[in-house]
Amino acid sequence: MDAAAVAGITLREFTEDDAEALFVWASDPRVVRFQRREAYSHVDEARRYIVDKILPHPWYRAICVSGSNDDRPVGSISVNPAAENDGCCCCCRASVGYRVAQAYWGRGVATGAVRAAAEAVFAEWPWLERLEAVADVENPASQRVLEKAGFVREGVLRRYVLLKGRPRDMVMFSRVREETTPR
Amino acid sequence: MEKSQEPQPAAAAASGGVEVTLRRFDLADVDAMMAWASDPEAAAPCRWEPYESTDPLLVYLRDTVLPHPWFRAICLATADHPVGAVSVTPTADACRAELGYVLARAHWGKGVATAAVRRVVATVFGEVEGLERVEALVDVRNAASQRVLEKAGFRREAVLRKYCVLKGDVKDMIIYSFLSTDPLVS
Repeated sequence: MDAAAVAGITLREFTEDDAEALFVWASDPRVVRFQRREAYSHVDEARRYIVDKILPHPWYRAICVSGSNDDRPVGSISVNPAAENDGCCCCCRASVGYRVAQAYWGRGVATGAVRAAAEAVFAEWPWLERLEAVADVENPASQRVLEKAGFVREGVLRRYVLLKGRPRDMVMFSRVREETTPR
Repeated sequence: MEKSQEPQPAAAAASGGVEVTLRRFDLADVDAMMAWASDPEAAAPCRWEPYESTDPLLVYLRDTVLPHPWFRAICLATADHPVGAVSVTPTADACRAELGYVLARAHWGKGVATAAVRRVVATVFGEVEGLERVEALVDVRNAASQRVLEKAGFRREAVLRKYCVLKGDVKDMIIYSFLSTDPLVS
């Protein structure tokens, strides 16, 4: 049984009609606290984000809760292939990020989405050897999501990313392609 | 990159008395660059293949090195021709940049790379706006390069598994960092 079904969630592509649902978590300071972006204040920002960033993205999915009576997403998950280096160094890694509306925290939604996304991208991208994610040192909930999703904690990278203009220490996690995982 | 060495007598201990200066490159440096750019052993841990002639190296100098935000020639105090190169390359985050270095094999094992990296962390934070972290990625099997960073005061943070493919091999890399607030090693 695939990871998504077990978790009771489904991942699907976004459409512009999801703007209002996206606005719910993208406007919530508690959700965007550990993101680079500031909280949105108008649903048009969410609509523009879907059109400009989500639809052209290599891998961006809406997280829906199975069995609920509508198809509205409660969060999103995205996987970014690493930018290819110049010369003869080839890309073999990607990074995953996720956001869930506060009303759905504490139910395993993010964990289920990360598991499902990892399974999907390792299957879809034969070049992928490493899927990584960083979580702020002050975000233990996100660190737990990654551990429960089978990621290994590798270490703390000091002043690694700029969060709303301030450098933050981040915990690095990764999952690597197993010998038994089919390409 | 420095190779593993047999234990050295104390008088020749790495980096104790080595003085280097860092300066900007000039197109006229192309011939001196060939000393390491054409050397397969120097090129082995790097992303590029050894150069077979100066023409493509001149293109690299002109198109990549000269416009680069922070690329320096490593010169010994006794001479002005470069014996290696060091660079600090911006990343997606303005607070961090990646260190890279290469040294002509004739100067391995003498503390030159360590001295150069020490000069980098002593100067680069004052020259690059917003920079707070210099990081370096080293193959887990490159013990000599790990020692260079450790002797220069970098902190080892993690092993990043299957981090990149370099010349056909998937590599585990150790990530090191030096912060603007870290103590300089004298």
